[in-house]
Amino acid sequence: MKRFSDLNPIATAVYYMCVLGITMFSMQPLMLCISLVTSILTCVYDRSVKVKGHIFTAVLFLIAAVINPLFVHNGVTVLFYLNDNPFTLEALVYGIVAAGMIAAALYWLRSMSAALSSDKIMYIFGRFSPKIALIISMSLRYIGLFKERFRKIQNTQRALGLYDDGNLIDALRGRARVLSILITWTLENGIVTAESMEARGYMSGRRTSYAPYRIHMADISFIALSLALTAIAIIGLRNTQTVFYPDMRFELFTPWGIAGAAAFALLCLLPIIINIKEAVKWRLLISKA
Amino acid sequence: MAFIDIKGLSFTYPESEKKAIDDVSFSIERGSFTALMGATGSGKSTLLRLLKPELRQNGTVLGEILFDGADITTLSGRQSAERIGYVAQNPDEQFVTDKVWHELAFTLESLGAPRDRIARRIAEICAFFDIDSLYQRSTSTLSGGQKQIINLASVMTADPELLILDEPTAQLDPIAASRFIEAVCRLNRETGLTVLISEHRAEEILPRCDSVVILEKGHTAFVGSPRELARGLEPDSPYTAYLPTAARIFIAAGGSGEPPLTIREGQRYISELDLTEKAIHEEITPNKSEPALELKNVYFRYDKQGFDILSDLSLTVYRGEVFALLGSNGAGKSTAACVGAGLLKPYSGKVQVFGKKLKEFRNGALYKECLSLLPQDVESVFIHETVGEELKGCEEALGLLPYDLTPLFDRHPYDISGGERQLVALCKALSTKPRLLILDEPSKGLDVNSKRLLTDVILSLKSQGVTVLIISHDVEFAALCADRCALFSQGRIAACDTTADFMSDNRFYTTAASRITRFKLSGAYTDEKAVRLIKPGGGAT
Repeated sequence: MKRFSDLNPIATAVYYMCVLGITMFSMQPLMLCISLVTSILTCVYDRSVKVKGHIFTAVLFLIAAVINPLFVHNGVTVLFYLNDNPFTLEALVYGIVAAGMIAAALYWLRSMSAALSSDKIMYIFGRFSPKIALIISMSLRYIGLFKERFRKIQNTQRALGLYDDGNLIDALRGRARVLSILITWTLENGIVTAESMEARGYMSGRRTSYAPYRIHMADISFIALSLALTAIAIIGLRNTQTVFYPDMRFELFTPWGIAGAAAFALLCLLPIIINIKEAVKWRLLISKA
Repeated sequence: MAFIDIKGLSFTYPESEKKAIDDVSFSIERGSFTALMGATGSGKSTLLRLLKPELRQNGTVLGEILFDGADITTLSGRQSAERIGYVAQNPDEQFVTDKVWHELAFTLESLGAPRDRIARRIAEICAFFDIDSLYQRSTSTLSGGQKQIINLASVMTADPELLILDEPTAQLDPIAASRFIEAVCRLNRETGLTVLISEHRAEEILPRCDSVVILEKGHTAFVGSPRELARGLEPDSPYTAYLPTAARIFIAAGGSGEPPLTIREGQRYISELDLTEKAIHEEITPNKSEPALELKNVYFRYDKQGFDILSDLSLTVYRGEVFALLGSNGAGKSTAACVGAGLLKPYSGKVQVFGKKLKEFRNGALYKECLSLLPQDVESVFIHETVGEELKGCEEALGLLPYDLTPLFDRHPYDISGGERQLVALCKALSTKPRLLILDEPSKGLDVNSKRLLTDVILSLKSQGVTVLIISHDVEFAALCADRCALFSQGRIAACDTTADFMSDNRFYTTAASRITRFKLSGAYTDEKAVRLIKPGGGAT
């Protein structure tokens, strides 16, 4: 098997759909606990989240956890009264679980955006429609081009003494002028791009979509494994009970519930397991050589 | 029968009386390399576009073009895309996608080729052009030369029979340009590809091509081999501008026999002359008055993690001189200009303009009547719909130019030629009455005549006391207008001298005239100076 990031983008996408699907639609404390812990592990392992990102998520988690009991007063166990409104244990637990879901989903999304670069997303769309793939690719190119040109125009206008940013009105006026030049420049030269496309046979017939990715056996077995684990996790979820209101009733550790949780934990840890396995294999190969 | 037969071709743009192409006839053999030359506006681009059916402009066409025996207009869009490759001037605008590999795949994707064939062609092309290392890169991170090679490679994936190039190297520095032309020559030599190229760079193209076509105002002024062209020209013919330096010196000095085309042939010609070693001793007293711009031990980098673009750069431009900062593309010359103009802040070092620190100029005072910087991309200067509106308030600056821009006042700034656009932008830069003018690659994309015009403008500015700093990769251009030259390398100045010493002491980074004459003559770094030594009292080109 290859490293996780070397898998075919379709396999990667299927994987994240599975993990995110269970994370976002389960609202079950055990599963969410697994998801949150493993998502943090994954992001720390592949360094896709920096310190700032962790702090942001922690603050968001705290706010989300407290907001629910402040506004929802269901539940039988009253902890204390705030402005004559009951602050209940049930609402607090629900808030913590929901906050855990948000935090876990955020971590998984960050990990996904690190794993699925623009190339890979384009490849996935290209399988369905070569035109969409081309549009995405062209848009990405234009974003980069606009940024660079905006900077160039700003510098030019400043160096020619045409750009004041002494006060707000002048600064805004300057910005507007830069934008206007940017649009003229791009539109006037856009014709060259159009001609270049036409000269290279664009619209001369059916398009194909090329991408430097192939589907290997490893990708297929990875997709199969992910789907199987997801299925077990879903069956597990259906065989547990989670009730928050009016009083909490959790039946999480039924036999199927345990199997489902184990399957989900394995699913969540797949990227780390694959990468560690590869690293070990690599070490062994080097030590033999 | 020839591969391409152009018979009595004329073309008129709609709502125009004048024919842009007028009764042009010539033919191109399969596997030949043809150069199309002519001044801006002579109809080169129009002619090339007529040879690529998808890019034909609206207008009336008379006469016919036979492509491999059949009328070229009968080719379907698909056939034309497959059989005729076309590379245009601007490297950036021809890109469609964001990644190099996708750009390489674009042509075959459009033609609906299966994946296996695309993969195979890309692999072949990458090996041929040696661009494997660029495969995964974003197109925006490439240098101009790399971009143009990718454009060429992308067109070549379809394996065309005819390759048309419309001034492909106009935006490139000399080194990247000759690398590009070498790649085109290799395609011609090693795969038998038929090439038709329009080009200003006679130095590289002429010795390599099989035939030359010169267009003038839509007519063919000359069709034949480069040697025939060189043999038939008188010293005062305007077409000498399309010859390489060796041939120009030969003709101007009234040489007899076979005219030289390459540097090597030029050296042989000089060595066979009955000349005693001569030198031009120009008494140049470097004008070391007060400095206009002073950079002292300047360090600059874009990212904290990045590397130093400027590293211990020290540079002084004195009041009233024309100073040329030379070096290859991407070396950081433009960055140095931006630091000098206060657009970028160095993390260490001192920058002074007219003896004052940049910090002491407040509220844009630096850019009012003190310093002006004209960037490479003059598009970033234009705001208005017409040249006239653009130049409102620049009347005084207009008077400084030895060239009348008023006939252009009704045109859109994007619709005038590159040389004219450069002058309009220059005029705008002069409207704030700068005492120090920084020009970033002013000669980029200009033809011979526009360059000459720009040289005159710069010299006339100098005579009016304006200090000019030119950032350029164009050695020939710097030789004509600079008082001092510096070679920029590794983030600092590697050599700085008066133009005469700079050009004579350099072996590789110097003018063609200097390279041709260096064994016999010294100080002959322009055509004119070389001719003056070879033929005392002789005329100048």
